[in-house]
Amino acid sequence: MAIIEIEQPKAEEQHSEPVRVRGLPFFPHFLLREVVVMCLIGGSLLLLASYYPAGLLSPADPFTTPTPIYPEWYFLYVFGFLKFWTFDLGPIPAKIIGVTVPMVLWYGLLILVPFIDRNPSADIRNRKIAVALGVIALLGILFFTYYGIVHGE
Amino acid sequence: MPEQLEVSMTIYDKIYKWLDDRFKLRELLPSIVKHPAPEYAVSNPLYCLGGTAFLCFLILVITGIFLAMYYKPTPDEAYKSVQNIMTAVPMGSLVRSTHHWAANTMIAAVMLHMIRIYFMGAYKKPRELNWVVGIFLLLTVTTFGFSGYLLPWDQLSFWATKIGTGIAGSLPVIGGYISLLLMGGNDIGADTLTRFFAIHVLILPIAIATLLGLHFIMVRIQGISGRL
Repeated sequence: MAIIEIEQPKAEEQHSEPVRVRGLPFFPHFLLREVVVMCLIGGSLLLLASYYPAGLLSPADPFTTPTPIYPEWYFLYVFGFLKFWTFDLGPIPAKIIGVTVPMVLWYGLLILVPFIDRNPSADIRNRKIAVALGVIALLGILFFTYYGIVHGE
Repeated sequence: MPEQLEVSMTIYDKIYKWLDDRFKLRELLPSIVKHPAPEYAVSNPLYCLGGTAFLCFLILVITGIFLAMYYKPTPDEAYKSVQNIMTAVPMGSLVRSTHHWAANTMIAAVMLHMIRIYFMGAYKKPRELNWVVGIFLLLTVTTFGFSGYLLPWDQLSFWATKIGTGIAGSLPVIGGYISLLLMGGNDIGADTLTRFFAIHVLILPIAIATLLGLHFIMVRIQGISGRL
């Protein structure tokens, strides 16, 4: 395989020497790997689609509520949090908290991540707080997803 | 150019020369073709997640176009047209099922891609804005899923949308407007279906194409973050 080396100035330091980055040219090496991965994923999707076709239940009926009823899996954590949070916080009703926290606050927090985390190091050993918060957030999402499944309407 | 040289050129050389004379391929191509991809990014499968999401996007565009040829967004026809796709249209079941699986895989890939970026700290300077664009992509992709869910107009679509619009509608201050904007009325009906269809096949595709363009241009300018 042809491995090319390029000289790349370090962005962080003004007076630095160029760092040598080992890399593969986009064409054909990188593209070839991409095409192989694409074939694998495309094939897996076709296989899944053939063995587990997309479902179609009975036609929509606004007067018959089916049970149990769930939202899409990627919204289950919102649904779960809404079911979990049942107590008012001072003058704020429980339902407002239940919808605002997982939608507005959570996405707002995600957008602000690079501006909150000012630690310049990307080394995982120097980012204990960020990693801990990330793990807590992941576990939280998993917990509320589970809660949403258990407490379906 | 001497006549003899022109004669000895193959058809591909001639096409290349024709294009090169007009578009300066000699200057443009090497920067694309020889652009180095870092070795760690080529050997580590975790770096495939973003590309997987993009591949799913391409599959969704193609299968979605074919579905739109047979789908009819009215309460009377929607369910029947999906049933027709599943039973009568040649390859219809495969196309719709592939659309379904590619959509779910794309959302999962986008989430995993985001988790990788977070734990590798790849959102740090100078890539802050690309993280922000990424979050908007996550929002766009989940809204895609949400709007597509209603279209088959079966019991699952209808009642899942009922929950979804109910949750969005109970947001403080803006909830009422969002609910009206999405449903086009007080309840899920014909107007909701055409709105969700327009959102799913017109508004969101434009939004995601723009965001993906920004996302990729920024990666190209800033390179793949190499710090582990």
